[in-house]
Amino acid sequence: MCLAVPMQITKIEGHTAHCASHGIEREVSLFLLDDETINVGDHLLIHVGYAIQKITEEEALSTWELLDQMLAEDAESAL
Amino acid sequence: MESQQLLEKIRALPLSGTVRIMNVCGGHERSISMAGLRTALPSTIELIPGPGCPVCICPEEDIYQAIQIGLNEEVVVLAFGDMLRVPVNAPKQAIRTLEQAKAAGADIRPIASPTEAVIIARSNPEKTIVFFVAGFETTCAPVAAMLEEGIPKNLLLLMSGRLTWPAVALLLSSDTPTFDALIAPGHVATIMGTEEWRFVVDHYAMPTAVAGFTSNSLLAAIYSVLRQGLEHHQFLDNCYTQVVTPSGNQRAKQLLNAAFDIIDAPWRGIGIIPQSGFELKEKFSSHNARLRFPSYADEARKKAGMMPPGCDCAKVILGQIKPTDCRLYGELCVPRNPVGPCMVSDEGACRIWWASGIKNSHSAH
Repeated sequence: MCLAVPMQITKIEGHTAHCASHGIEREVSLFLLDDETINVGDHLLIHVGYAIQKITEEEALSTWELLDQMLAEDAESAL
Repeated sequence: MESQQLLEKIRALPLSGTVRIMNVCGGHERSISMAGLRTALPSTIELIPGPGCPVCICPEEDIYQAIQIGLNEEVVVLAFGDMLRVPVNAPKQAIRTLEQAKAAGADIRPIASPTEAVIIARSNPEKTIVFFVAGFETTCAPVAAMLEEGIPKNLLLLMSGRLTWPAVALLLSSDTPTFDALIAPGHVATIMGTEEWRFVVDHYAMPTAVAGFTSNSLLAAIYSVLRQGLEHHQFLDNCYTQVVTPSGNQRAKQLLNAAFDIIDAPWRGIGIIPQSGFELKEKFSSHNARLRFPSYADEARKKAGMMPPGCDCAKVILGQIKPTDCRLYGELCVPRNPVGPCMVSDEGACRIWWASGIKNSHSAH
C-alpha cells in the first residue's frame, strides 16, 4: 500500500490524466501536482489513484523492475 | 553505484560490533526481504522492520466500529483491501473482520482509491457511504485532495490515518532504543520531504538516510548510515533524490493542513502516540462518521484496542522481536489464516517474511 506505482501519461483532461503501464490503463488525478507542468508522455508516481510526483523514464523503469519482481513473488507465495 | 559495488564497499567497512538499522516502512521491508539483503550483508548488520504498516497499527476499536456500523446502520462501508481481513478481538463465533461482516449481509466493499469512494457515493445518492480510511501521509494526502475537490453529502469518512515519524520518535525516546541507525521511508518523504526526519539527526544524533525501494537505493542508504556511524558524523542523507526533495510535495502538504487536524491518536498494540493522527477539521463535521453514528464501543469487550490474544504483532511493529520470534509464526498464524494484522497486510513484516520463503521459526535468516 505504501508503494507508489509508475505510469506514463497518454492523455490529459483538466486535473485527470489517462495513464498506461504494462497493458493497464487508469485514470489518475493530477490534483496533488497542480503547480507543475505536466505533459503527455511524462511518467508519474501514483498512489491510490493520485499522482504524487513526476519522475524520469529511468526511474519509472527501475521501479517497474522491482514491482515485477514483487508481483512474481506474490504469485508464487499464493500457490 | 551498482548493488554489487555497494555490497563490496559495505563488506569492506571496519565495523567493530553489531549495527542495528531500522527501516520504517513496509515497502522497504518487502524490497529487503525480496532481494535477500539480510543474507547478502555481513551478519554484523541487523536490519529491523519498523512500525510503518498502517494496516497493522490501525486501532482495533476503529475496525470494530466500522464493523458495527456496517452491521447495524443502513450504510455502505468502503475500505482499502487489506483492512477487510484484519481481525478484531472478539469471540471465535462472533464477527471478527469486515469481510465476515460482509458475509453476514453488511454492504462492505474494498476500494483502491478515494476517487472510487466519490464515484460510489455519487452513484448511490440515496445511500450513506462510510469510507474507513487507514493509511499514512502518502495515503492521507490523496484523501485530502478528494476533500478539497468536494465530496457529495452522502459520503462520510471514518478517519484512522496516521503520521509516520511520531512512532519513530516514540521508539527513540525510550531509555534503551533498539536500533542505531534509521532508513527513512521513501514515499512518505516524497509527500512530506526529507526535513521531517531532521529531528532524528539533530535531536538523537542518529545516522539517517532516506531510501527508495530498489536494492541500489537501499544499499546506498545502508552504506551511508554505516559510514555516518563509523565517522561519528551524523547527517540527514537522501538516497532517493530522483523523487524526494527536502520540502516534499508542497501542494500535498497544503491540502493535508487544510483538511485535517493533527491529534493524539491510538496505535494498535502501542497506545496513544501524541500528535500522530489525522482527524477531519471542523468544517467537514457533516462528513465525519465519528460524529454521525453512535459509538458501538462495548465496555465488556476483552482486549479492546490490543492485538489479538497470544499475538506478538505489537513487539514486531516496535522492532523488539523478529517475526520468527513470535511463537505463532508459521504455525498458528499464516497468511491464509492470520491471527494478527502483521500477517494480513502486504506491508506487515510477518506476511513479508512469509512471502520471501521463511515458513517457520527455524528458517530465519
